[in-house]
Amino acid sequence: MEPDWPDWTEVEIEAEPENQSHRTRFLILAAVVSLALGYMIYAAFPGNALYFLTVGELINKTDVHDGRTLRVSGKLVADSFQREGRTTVSHFQLRDENGESAGEYLSATFVGVLPDLFFNPHSEVILEGSYGEDQIFQTDAILVKCPSKYQSLQEETLLSS
Amino acid sequence: MLGNGVRQNITGYLVVLSGLFMLADLYLIFVVAPTDAVLGHVQRVFYFHVPIAIMSFLAFFLVFLASIAYVVRRDGKWDRLAHSCAEVGVVFVTVALLTGIIWGRPLWNTWWTWEPRLTTTLILWLIYVSYLMIRSYASNQQQAARYSAVVGIVGFVDVPIVYYSVVWWRSIHPSPVVGPFAQANALEPIMLWILLFSMVTFLILFTYLVVERTALRNSEDRLLGIRLVARRAGR
Repeated sequence: MEPDWPDWTEVEIEAEPENQSHRTRFLILAAVVSLALGYMIYAAFPGNALYFLTVGELINKTDVHDGRTLRVSGKLVADSFQREGRTTVSHFQLRDENGESAGEYLSATFVGVLPDLFFNPHSEVILEGSYGEDQIFQTDAILVKCPSKYQSLQEETLLSS
Repeated sequence: MLGNGVRQNITGYLVVLSGLFMLADLYLIFVVAPTDAVLGHVQRVFYFHVPIAIMSFLAFFLVFLASIAYVVRRDGKWDRLAHSCAEVGVVFVTVALLTGIIWGRPLWNTWWTWEPRLTTTLILWLIYVSYLMIRSYASNQQQAARYSAVVGIVGFVDVPIVYYSVVWWRSIHPSPVVGPFAQANALEPIMLWILLFSMVTFLILFTYLVVERTALRNSEDRLLGIRLVARRAGR
């Protein structure tokens, strides 16, 4: 900056003597806040609070079969989809795409409008709902997990033809 | 620092350049870019969402570096840079969140869900909003600079967490399409080129905004200096 003006570091709106205890308090507060944030980030995700379970995990973790709200992710089993008459009640099955549990099927039921990309063979479906003793996943909401791969319309038509 | 004339020249060039790049970018995104086979036209949001999110990371990295420089050197110019980058960064991360919300609805069937990438990004937004709040609550400039420098340094911890969140935890969010964790062939070449062009475009826009905001902070500080001189003379 131009030397005609006082140096920025001299500028104080209200001159306030440097208070040592004030500063310590601030540093402690900053440390507490950052530790709390770090802990929240750490505690929010791993272990019991995974964003979703796989089909195999859901079926084998019998302790969560008590009607609590869960998320489960899997592939829609082709040809398993059925709609009850002229209603919005639908039944379908999910399975893990690969791994040991790929042979296990999860039956689910949902009432409502299905997402646009529900039947897209490239995406995975994430169900929010609960799983009880009837062995049928009662779906409250459906999310669609899209592949992290993008392909143009022309390209796909070329490949499939 | 730079003289006024030189600075005005630079900002002038940057405005024209970012305008031209933005027009070309819009043409590439809406006319040249192929329509996605699965996701359709809404996939074009990608060319805004990803570069803007990356620019916000860059902004907070600069806040981090400038805050360290301020703590070490106690020179006001580093605080001005950190403050400007933080403001522009908050704008960019806000837009990244909003564009995510817009295409989350048709793609995921929800506007928002509490999953790792989204939650850590919201925390990022809160950290840098609190950075700006701490500045405005401070009783003088030095205090604002010191306190916000602490937030600027500590808060940066969340940036790598946001980036790695999709690698570390199960997430609905797609994994990176560029960088060390990108899948091979995640993008077609034409899509990758348009994405890179879009990044350059937003980098120019980001640079312009930071240069302009830093200049504004300079003026604010000068005005404060004039007031101080006037007050001392009046005594």
